[in-house]
Amino acid sequence: MPAIFTVDPHTGVPIYLQLIEQVKRSVALGVLAPGERLPTVKQLATDLTINPNTVARAYRELERDGVIETSVGRGSFVRQNGAGDAAAAALSDVASSAVDAAVREAKSLGLKKSQLREIFHHALERWYSSDGDVKEREN
Amino acid sequence: MPGQPEAPAIAIAALTKRYGATTAVDNLSISIPTGAIFGLLGTNGAGKTTTFKCALGLARPSAGTVRFGGEPLQPKMFESMSYMPERPALYDWMTGAQHVEAARRSFTRFDRERARELSDLFGLDLRKGVGKLSKGQQSALGLVLAFSIRPEILVLDEPSSGLDPVHQRHVLDLMIDAAAGGATVVFSSHQIGQVERAADRVAVLHRGKLVLEGIVEDLKAQEKIVEATFEGDAPTIAALDGNPSVRHLMRQGRLLRAYVRGSGDGVVAVIQAASPTSVRILDQNLEDIFLVAVGGN
Repeated sequence: MPAIFTVDPHTGVPIYLQLIEQVKRSVALGVLAPGERLPTVKQLATDLTINPNTVARAYRELERDGVIETSVGRGSFVRQNGAGDAAAAALSDVASSAVDAAVREAKSLGLKKSQLREIFHHALERWYSSDGDVKEREN
Repeated sequence: MPGQPEAPAIAIAALTKRYGATTAVDNLSISIPTGAIFGLLGTNGAGKTTTFKCALGLARPSAGTVRFGGEPLQPKMFESMSYMPERPALYDWMTGAQHVEAARRSFTRFDRERARELSDLFGLDLRKGVGKLSKGQQSALGLVLAFSIRPEILVLDEPSSGLDPVHQRHVLDLMIDAAAGGATVVFSSHQIGQVERAADRVAVLHRGKLVLEGIVEDLKAQEKIVEATFEGDAPTIAALDGNPSVRHLMRQGRLLRAYVRGSGDGVVAVIQAASPTSVRILDQNLEDIFLVAVGGN
């Protein structure tokens, strides 16, 4: 199985949180389909050279969040029902915290609310069409 | 979980080791659960090797106890225990194959096939005499022996010293594989990046004392830097000096940096009151956390 996830252990962001976000992203974008099997804890730990307990922790949280389900002896799978919704909801959290961080950074740089509003407006114009749909992706 | 909590694989309690007037290990207590990969960090002379020796009965502690699975060390435990000292105990006049054979006779769980696989992995020629091997190859032979006895407990002192980056990665993979199979791994390293990758738990020793211990991922989540800039020189803020969540303060010109435990929100509020021009919260990686713990930052 190709390693579809990547982690950067040398940052301040815990590895299990990096994994959780990537699994949710993959599920929300359909890269991982409902019912699809995830690598075992051992497999993923070995593929990424990270601690097995760290992977297990990510899987536990993903299960708690309703994105995957684990059956003893069979492995972990993307949930058939509701995994997409759970992942999408989680991704909206990811987006809010990214926006929150950007606003905090702007504030720390001394920008005024009105300046920030303008920046935000431009960014929306750039990435969304006027009817609010996502513009075709520019890769 | 229901039932009795399992006794930790290794429990070190109030361990002290003195050599004359020097205290090499000072009242150290560490508990290592089964299946963990425990990274021990510290500068040279911090007491890492002494800790390993005391734990494995190779040095007599001045005080304190060490228990394995709740019991004191007994000879039969050595069957399923691997210790690799920083300089592996090998004989120059013996070949690699002879070392493998000697290990096979001493350890009932020894897996010969595994020894062959691992020798190939490290590109090791077992026919060669140890005296003719490079330092890195000697380390590799030590590792082949340590992992081929299929141990339940592995204690590795600087396991990747002398190895090239590819073989260093193999060492991490072997530790991960062992832990995934239920073994408990304890290792020391000067390479924090290795600990950051492979270890789920870490302890930092400094001058024989435990200065930091925890789950790597939790430490990263808990340890933050609050960085603020001011119009003029960064002021002395009295409320920060006594603040229990502040581990370390750095003031340089207009810049103030507080290394904090916790979300950092409380410290941000304290700093905001001093009218900074900017405040932000930064993450810390394990290296940052280590340097603060040993006071090198």
